[in-house]
Amino acid sequence: MNTVATTTPVVTSVAKPTTMRSARGLAYRGIRNIRRLPSAFFPAMAMPVFTMIAFAGTFAAITRLPGFPTDRSVNWFMPLGICFGAAFSGIGLGFSTIRDIETRFYDRLLMSPAPRRSLIIGPLLTAWVRVAILCAFVIPMGILLGVRFTSGLLGLLTLVVAALGVSTISLGWGLGLAFRFRDMRGAAVMQLTMFVVLYLSSAQMPLPLMRGWLHNVARINPTTNILRLSREGLVLPTSPDYMSWSNTWGGLLAIAGMSTLTLVFARRGLNKLDK
Amino acid sequence: MTVATSNVVIETTARSRQLSMRQTIAMAKRSTIELARQPALIAPSMFFPIFFAVLSASSFSKTTAIPGFPKVESFMQFALASTIVQGVLFGSVTGAAALATDIENGFFDRLLLAPTTRTGILLGRLAGSALFGLFQSAFFLTVLVPFNAPISGGIPGALVMVLSGGIVSLAIGAIMSSVAIRTGSAEAVQGAFPLLFVLLFFSSAFFPRETMSGAYKRIADINPISYLVEGLRALVLEGFTFSAVVRSLLVPTVICAAAILFALKELRRKLAAL
Repeated sequence: MNTVATTTPVVTSVAKPTTMRSARGLAYRGIRNIRRLPSAFFPAMAMPVFTMIAFAGTFAAITRLPGFPTDRSVNWFMPLGICFGAAFSGIGLGFSTIRDIETRFYDRLLMSPAPRRSLIIGPLLTAWVRVAILCAFVIPMGILLGVRFTSGLLGLLTLVVAALGVSTISLGWGLGLAFRFRDMRGAAVMQLTMFVVLYLSSAQMPLPLMRGWLHNVARINPTTNILRLSREGLVLPTSPDYMSWSNTWGGLLAIAGMSTLTLVFARRGLNKLDK
Repeated sequence: MTVATSNVVIETTARSRQLSMRQTIAMAKRSTIELARQPALIAPSMFFPIFFAVLSASSFSKTTAIPGFPKVESFMQFALASTIVQGVLFGSVTGAAALATDIENGFFDRLLLAPTTRTGILLGRLAGSALFGLFQSAFFLTVLVPFNAPISGGIPGALVMVLSGGIVSLAIGAIMSSVAIRTGSAEAVQGAFPLLFVLLFFSSAFFPRETMSGAYKRIADINPISYLVEGLRALVLEGFTFSAVVRSLLVPTVICAAAILFALKELRRKLAAL
């Protein structure tokens, strides 16, 4: 009697794994992998630091251009570095998924009764944790190098939101490609496309200071809005790009739209893999 | 009798040198064909430098008015030299990684078992890299010059730039081959590449030193890549002058000689350990 009473709830909990419980399990696994395989996470940490230091130093003189929104090059390039790192955090989980598919671990996940949604939400939670670690490391380093938030904590918040958004988009894209390619050929496509999409925006220069074809491309590239969101708390209060709702909603909309598209792309890829 | 013996010795030495040269050429041919047969390996080193040049030309077009910026017709003209150096850096790593792959899969050991010249194994591979560097330099100039990036040194200037690109490729190939011989791992060669990338960024490759300040300027001042790029840039901006030719050839030649000597030393060390 006593035994039956104890066993029943256990059986129920195993038989009906919820999406969030499975996703948490996968997220823990992803976070443990950061410690077990630091070489896989290292590029996502090194890249933003390198981008921030190298770009801010090499292109320091661009702040002397009339109309440049900040007088500190590091203020301009730190958000770019963080967005790059966030993109690589998401893509890095695409690489891990390819490795899991190649080693047949993913087959075991597909055979388990875990809800399919959790196979996307789990890595998404890991990507967000990676972004949190990234921001906790890069932002203090940026402050040491001379970064100043011109609109206080709100600027920090918009930067973190933009980074989380970029990681969500890149994760959806990375998983979608991983489920379709199923081998490391997909890794090159993931990196190349994210790299190109980020660069074909206001990554290096503000939109009004660009000329020619890049200006036309950056103007319609939604990533420009996300970068504007990430930088609005770091530009001068006199700049038109300074913290305001009109500089915020475009970025939020771009994150929502691109995240939805890439996550749907990932889900459809997972369905194909499942078949 | 003595004269006859000495004649035989001279003839044997000459024949041995000829044979050694033929073997080196055969190795160079092999490494060139190997690169040509794997377009996926060389495509990034052709595509990325062009992409960055076109991107920078559009991004930084207004920066040419910044005080201290050299007098140029366009940012593309300024970026021409750095595009060559950047492309050649990417390409040379591919050649060195192929040498490491030879070590990994045992082909290098088979070459050592064969009665072939030891230095030819290395020099043949480096010659392949240099040929690819020449090709890359010519390709970048052909593609980018029409986009408002004239070379003030004219055709002789362009030819010196192509030659300099080949020497730079040889130099970087030798440095990375040392890593390949020492570690015997293609992954280690690829892993060493970011160091080159960092050196490239902390130089005057992408922006003039005159516009830099503080620690960045001091690093760029002592970075050899700055002088490599500036030598080539002098041919583009100043014209075909004695000073520009010497700067564009001398710096890479000195680096190249030191790098080849170091790579040969690494090879001798590896052979002695066998």
